[in-house]
Amino acid sequence: MSLMLSQPKIDVASEVKATAVFDPPVVRPGEQAFYRVTFNALEQSIDWPEKLNASAGLEMSRGAHGEILRMTGPSYAPLTAINYRVRSAGLGEFDVPEFQVKVYGKPVTVPAARLRVVAAPPSGARPAQRVLLDVASTNLFVGQAVRARVLLAGSGTGVVQGLGQVQFSGQGFLVDLGGVRQRIEPMLDRGARVPTFVHETTLTPMVAGKLSLFAQGFSAGNQFFGPIVITGTATIPGGPPQFTLLESEPIELHVRPLPTEGELPGFTGAIGTFALGPPKLGTNVVRVGDIVKLAVTVTNQGEGPLARLVAPPAPRVRDWQVFAPSDAAPAQAVPLAPPGAPVPADMLVGVTTFIYTLIPLTEQALATPAIPFSYFDPQRGAYADLTIPSVPVTVNPGAVPGDLPAPLQAGSPPVETEKEPALSRLATSPGRTAGSLVAAQQQAWFPLAQLAPAALFAGLWGWDRRRRYLEKHPDVLLRRKARRSLHRQWRTARRAAQAKDAPRFATAAVSAMQVACAPHYPAEPRALVGSDVLALIRETGGNGRAGEVVRRFFTVTDASRFAMTGANATELLALEPELERVLAQLDERL
Amino acid sequence: MKASTSTIWTSEQSQKPRGQKWKRRAVLKALPFGFRISGFLRLSDFGFRFWASLVLVAWPALQVQAAPFEELFREGVAAYRAADYAGAAKAFRQSTTVQPASGTLQNLGNAEWKLGHTGAAVLAWEQALWLDPFNMPARMDLRFARRAAQLESPELAWYEVVSTWLPANWWTWIAGASLWLAVGMVMLPGILRLRKAAWHQAVAALGLMVFLLSVPAYLGVHTRSRVGFVLQKDTLLRLTPTLDAQAVTRLAAGEPARLVRTRGNYVLIRTNRALGWVEREQFGLTTG
Repeated sequence: MSLMLSQPKIDVASEVKATAVFDPPVVRPGEQAFYRVTFNALEQSIDWPEKLNASAGLEMSRGAHGEILRMTGPSYAPLTAINYRVRSAGLGEFDVPEFQVKVYGKPVTVPAARLRVVAAPPSGARPAQRVLLDVASTNLFVGQAVRARVLLAGSGTGVVQGLGQVQFSGQGFLVDLGGVRQRIEPMLDRGARVPTFVHETTLTPMVAGKLSLFAQGFSAGNQFFGPIVITGTATIPGGPPQFTLLESEPIELHVRPLPTEGELPGFTGAIGTFALGPPKLGTNVVRVGDIVKLAVTVTNQGEGPLARLVAPPAPRVRDWQVFAPSDAAPAQAVPLAPPGAPVPADMLVGVTTFIYTLIPLTEQALATPAIPFSYFDPQRGAYADLTIPSVPVTVNPGAVPGDLPAPLQAGSPPVETEKEPALSRLATSPGRTAGSLVAAQQQAWFPLAQLAPAALFAGLWGWDRRRRYLEKHPDVLLRRKARRSLHRQWRTARRAAQAKDAPRFATAAVSAMQVACAPHYPAEPRALVGSDVLALIRETGGNGRAGEVVRRFFTVTDASRFAMTGANATELLALEPELERVLAQLDERL
Repeated sequence: MKASTSTIWTSEQSQKPRGQKWKRRAVLKALPFGFRISGFLRLSDFGFRFWASLVLVAWPALQVQAAPFEELFREGVAAYRAADYAGAAKAFRQSTTVQPASGTLQNLGNAEWKLGHTGAAVLAWEQALWLDPFNMPARMDLRFARRAAQLESPELAWYEVVSTWLPANWWTWIAGASLWLAVGMVMLPGILRLRKAAWHQAVAALGLMVFLLSVPAYLGVHTRSRVGFVLQKDTLLRLTPTLDAQAVTRLAAGEPARLVRTRGNYVLIRTNRALGWVEREQFGLTTG
């Protein structure tokens, strides 16, 4: 409590004043400027409008916004700045008129500001001061730490300012605040080496996709937040700093998910290029039940920083009880090669050490268990094995009972037999397909599909019944066959009559009468003679004329068939109407 | 000389039909079984040419239909691997529109999950299991999503649980085939004048038994087709199907419910705890 009371108060009672400026006030067409509004108030107290009124033709998009506390005597004075990125393609003067916002619930007037867009700005006009965001790589994998630098170049005269409240604005990444390093070093800017303030940290993307981010910070003059290393010559400006909210151009990170294919055992999220040092065992001769430490160092050999490294889990083996390190030693920046060389300023290489605690459970153990470990190499886009190898050891019998393994294993944490559910890998093929997600039984065609076999079976049943009936009544088939033959011969006779082919007419007529009479006897049609036909005609009450016609046809055909001299069949053509009637009578009898 | 020419001509003539015959056999072997049967029934050259032409014309058309479906699937996979989840979801959705497939729906669920669309992801995985209950990754995804989002599974009756053992359409065909098999084994021996054998009755009894066993699952598929999932976060469950209706409760995305009936732009759903109306686009049925 006393510590809290000893802190300086934040001044929220002073009259709130707002300033609004364009930085720079004069630009070329298409050149970016910043519209910056500042308040001497806390950011949360400002009720900022969603949209600002501005002259037509002036493109405005929301930029950085932030707050910094300045020490003014016994209290902190808050300063809030809100930036807009503005740009105009055309020449002219563009205004953002005066408007009011509520701060601490009271109206505060934001003064008007004017931007001049001219073809040739006056000589000596300086572009807007801004910071530069430099990310080592923009094509990353999820979880891959990347070095990010925020640079504020000094003036050509060697004057350089510090940056305060440096932030990265965007979504989907983590900023390693614990690993921030600040320095001033000469860097090339527009061909000249000028002292540059460098704020360096590590970004770790946490989601896949395209991530947009930009850096922002307040120019802080001679105030530095945290330790700083100055290399070369630099002039730090004196006097109270002018806190100006600066921001960088947005950059886009393309973040891909880690491939699930080829993942190796012991992967704990390590991404980069690592090397394993030789595992060091506390002693090579132990007794059953004694504790022995196994230390192994992991060195970062990649370009990326060694931000966080999780030790692989302890394996469960029969002869050893292994305890995973509770926490890996923090990564230390180290020189790579040659040993003893200074650490490159722009490389955050590092080394960390995992220390496992092992207890031999039997004297049969000849070596420590191998501990599976792997990492993902973003350069190769594949996983690499980094298994901690076994170390030979001699285990002597100890004072502990021989059945130690059982209680030790029983007391050890239970093994999770059920795998924790996780999002699966992508299916590599479309898999089982269907015409529709709607169930087949609910499709319109389904009743028809079910009716088809029903109709088939009904048809088969009906056909079988009919077949059995016909088997019992063969005369039905006989008559049907005779009727078909009669009609066929009848047609032949008609065609012959039309063609005046008397012999053919007579033959067809006789054949028609024979086939029509055959079922009544029954007999082979060709075996029937005229009297057989006449018998049927008489039975049906045929008159003499019909009988005469029948006789004449049979006479002529018999003569042509059996007599030495053929009979003249031409006269039969005239009997066609009578023949029609006879055949009709016979047809009726069928 | 003439004789030799004539001999050669005769030989060519005699070999040509033989070659055609072999070609025809080869083509017939390549044809689907149905076409072979048709070709067998129509032994005339016209019949053969007709069916061969039909296959030759229809085959590219079938390929054209299949190509976009698999092409879209591959596009979706590529977009997903490039972390373009919105593009992946779009491609997978288009692919399922052309041809619903279990793997495609599983991947669609993954993409929707990555986009934070829990309801759409759960629905896609459920649809994947509807088509293929043996799709274990989709089952694991559902378990993972329900644990992560604290969602419930649909409450299923026993016959609905049985219906989840096989793909939804299988039960339909099993029930139909077994019923008609039983009917056929009773009827056909008499019709075909076969001597009645014990195995006829055994097969008929087996068919009848399978039919009776599959009927509950068949009904389960029917009732499960009314199961759906809330698609949007904090969906209002309304007392009446009106815009200004009193809210009964808010439903989480991915929560299961059963469709009771539809009225205008609203659907009446029954969740595990409440009954109310939601807007039609806020609710997705497993059957699409």
